[in-house]
Amino acid sequence: MEYQVNGKTIPADEEGYITNLDDWSPELAEEIAKTENIEMDEERWEVVNFLRDYYQEYQIAPAVRVLIKAIKKSMGPEKGNNKYMYELFPYGPAKQACKIAGLPKPTGCV
Amino acid sequence: MLSVIYAILFYVATAILVVGVGMKIRKYARTPAPLKIPTTPAPTTAWGVVLRMFREVVFFESLFKSNKWIWLFGWVFHMSMWLVLIRHIRYFIIEIPGWLSFMQPFGIYASFGMALGLIGLWGRRFLVERIRYISNPSDHLMLALLLTIVISGMLMRFVARPDILSVKAFFLGLLRLRIETLPADPILLVHLTAVATLMIVFPISKLLHAPGVFFSPTRNQIDNPREKRHLAPWAAKLEG
Amino acid sequence: MADGDDLRKMEHPLDIPCLRPGAMEGLEPFIAAPEHQAKLGFPGELVPNWKEKALEKMAELAEKNRAFQVYLDACVKCGACTDKCHYFLGTGDPKNMPVARQDLLRSVYRRYFTFAGKYFPKLVGARELTEEVLHEWYSYYHQCSECRRCSVFCPYGIDTAEITMAAREILDHVGIGQKYSNEIIGKVKDVGNNLGLNPKALRATLEDLEEEIEDDTGISVRLPLDEKGADILLVTPSADFFAEPHIDGLIGYAKVFHETGASWTLSSYASEAANFGLFIGSYENMREISLRIRKAAEDLGVKRIIFGECGHAWRVAYSFLNTLAGPFDFLDQNYPIPQHILEYTWDAIQKGKLKFDKSQNDHIRLTFHDSCNVARASRMGDMPGGQFEIPRNVIRAVCNHFYDMPDETIREATLCCGGGGGLLTDDLMDLRKKGASPRMTALQQVTEEHGVTHMAAICAICKTQFSKVMPVFGYEMDSIVSVHQLVSNAIILTGQETGEDGNEDEDGGA
Repeated sequence: MEYQVNGKTIPADEEGYITNLDDWSPELAEEIAKTENIEMDEERWEVVNFLRDYYQEYQIAPAVRVLIKAIKKSMGPEKGNNKYMYELFPYGPAKQACKIAGLPKPTGCV
Repeated sequence: MLSVIYAILFYVATAILVVGVGMKIRKYARTPAPLKIPTTPAPTTAWGVVLRMFREVVFFESLFKSNKWIWLFGWVFHMSMWLVLIRHIRYFIIEIPGWLSFMQPFGIYASFGMALGLIGLWGRRFLVERIRYISNPSDHLMLALLLTIVISGMLMRFVARPDILSVKAFFLGLLRLRIETLPADPILLVHLTAVATLMIVFPISKLLHAPGVFFSPTRNQIDNPREKRHLAPWAAKLEG
Repeated sequence: MADGDDLRKMEHPLDIPCLRPGAMEGLEPFIAAPEHQAKLGFPGELVPNWKEKALEKMAELAEKNRAFQVYLDACVKCGACTDKCHYFLGTGDPKNMPVARQDLLRSVYRRYFTFAGKYFPKLVGARELTEEVLHEWYSYYHQCSECRRCSVFCPYGIDTAEITMAAREILDHVGIGQKYSNEIIGKVKDVGNNLGLNPKALRATLEDLEEEIEDDTGISVRLPLDEKGADILLVTPSADFFAEPHIDGLIGYAKVFHETGASWTLSSYASEAANFGLFIGSYENMREISLRIRKAAEDLGVKRIIFGECGHAWRVAYSFLNTLAGPFDFLDQNYPIPQHILEYTWDAIQKGKLKFDKSQNDHIRLTFHDSCNVARASRMGDMPGGQFEIPRNVIRAVCNHFYDMPDETIREATLCCGGGGGLLTDDLMDLRKKGASPRMTALQQVTEEHGVTHMAAICAICKTQFSKVMPVFGYEMDSIVSVHQLVSNAIILTGQETGEDGNEDEDGGA
């Protein structure tokens, strides 16, 4: 798979996760979101940005619990819960949001 | 001439059966089981395993859990077969002991059990879609062969009796490496040919389930991996 | 991908479908890339002499593994197994009947290694090994979760899982590996767990959880990492550090250890209980992963090893660890080696060391899903069947409302969640939903009869699988819970204030 952003071709694996993490850009995120049928809004950007910051620090996506706790802090308890995360990202905050954030897919029994 | 052919046939068939199955058993016995894989809950002692195996080969416990029709036909067939086989011992010994005489009527009427079981099992191969799908020509042929043996046997018992004393003399002769005269009764010859065929295909067919079940690790292993370390010889070599 | 839209409506969990030949034909999970293969010592792509290599491997396995040898010979096609596989029940594809699945390989074995197959191939259903056959293997041996349900019902104990593992091993050796499993095994070798969670991130996650427990209970409960000299090494699936509801189970283990005053630690080197080496049938890879646990235990100087809630991990631990990484003579021989966390918790409950407020789980009407590898390939406690009783005993100690699903779908006859054996990957989602149908139908029955709202499991794969497929069957995704999550809900820690508001944001979904 691959994405087209600003005339550039960004390679991705079979499931749409980009293969070179440095290829990521906000425009690419919008593009990936589009293929996932997701409209990027403020809340979704908040999640994506948190994921990227966390990844910078720890080289891995955060546990869903950690993500939700962070979102609770910034957006309040009505949005900082698992259900709302799935409203934002129907295929799961861990996998779908990671894809848009340009992070590798979490593997294992998750 | 006929007697010579059948004598050779039975010597060859016996040799193939004994050597073939013996070689298979040796192979099963020598092939290591690298890991503990009993289907649990499993017995935790050797005696428990003996009991489990006993229930498996005498009552077909797993099959009973699985499917009552297959169990019924399969169990009736196998148990009847044992009775019939035991009855046949009389053709290989001179003096008939009391218990064998006692077994005689059971052994005779068990033939109906065998036939019923086989017909039931065969019927399922046609009537049940799933079993029709998994059946190969050889599965049908095996049933045909067994049914040939049973029906020819029943005909000789209930319809057209051959000169049974000569038959007995023939087999007693074979045991003493002498070729006596075998009556040229067509039903008898069909019966004997089918039996010899069964003996010959035994070591190269699914009839290997008979020795195989005793070597099945999911059934014959003791559930004690935490207490006792299990290690295959080839796996031991990995440990430097 | 047909996204499970064609899910069959089942009247009964074991409702037998009509045959639908070809229903799942051609379904193939992603194939491993060369770099994933290399880490496991497998060729990166289909080798030129694949046929020779495949047959060579088959012969080798028949010589090294009695189960494989006997099972290839012993099947009589009686049909007892034909309606026992959840993937068959869910898809109707005849090649998902256990005997038919075995025959995909048995037919080739017969052709090259048996007299009848060499000279009368048509008669006994023997066939040549071709590239199409390899792909058929790849497809249908990745539609088996190695759950062993069929082996319970086979009169000879033929275990399709053994055939599936052998087939995957052969495929790996000719260069066709499954991406999901093989990428993960590579991560365990590189980082220590399936997730690729490094020590720094693991520590941060554990600290976060300690904070959370303290916020919830007012009690400081530790989740120690790499603490030398601890008595107990806890090895748990890395999903327990990451996913929902797994992480609540981890909190439960921590609370139990805290309350029993145990000195325990996790290890960043062996931060994974799962062992996907089992799924791909690779003794060598399974051994290598197991040896990490031994090394961690030695390095940390622990006296005991306890495993968290993970089905196949418990199989590898209980049944194989002693074989693969033993003998464990450096551990305290007064305890089982290894021990299951439920054995530990049940023991503590029996000794009266734990106090519970069962009403904390009153919002839940619960049933229990026996995980296949625990049920049919391991044990807990001293008695056969302890693997069924101990989890239920613990559940009854912490829950007021517990109801079992129909007898023919639990204990040794339990139905797989549909995601085990290396199939818990998004590219098999359609199969996962169909394979879950029998279990979900059984669940729906107890929901109708007893108003069951939640199902507990003791396997990371089951938990993830159910959280994904339950919504398809009309349940909330958090209707699946960890057993130790229930323990965590009900446990009263020493010194804990038992206010009314203790539990409000747990499992609110029901």
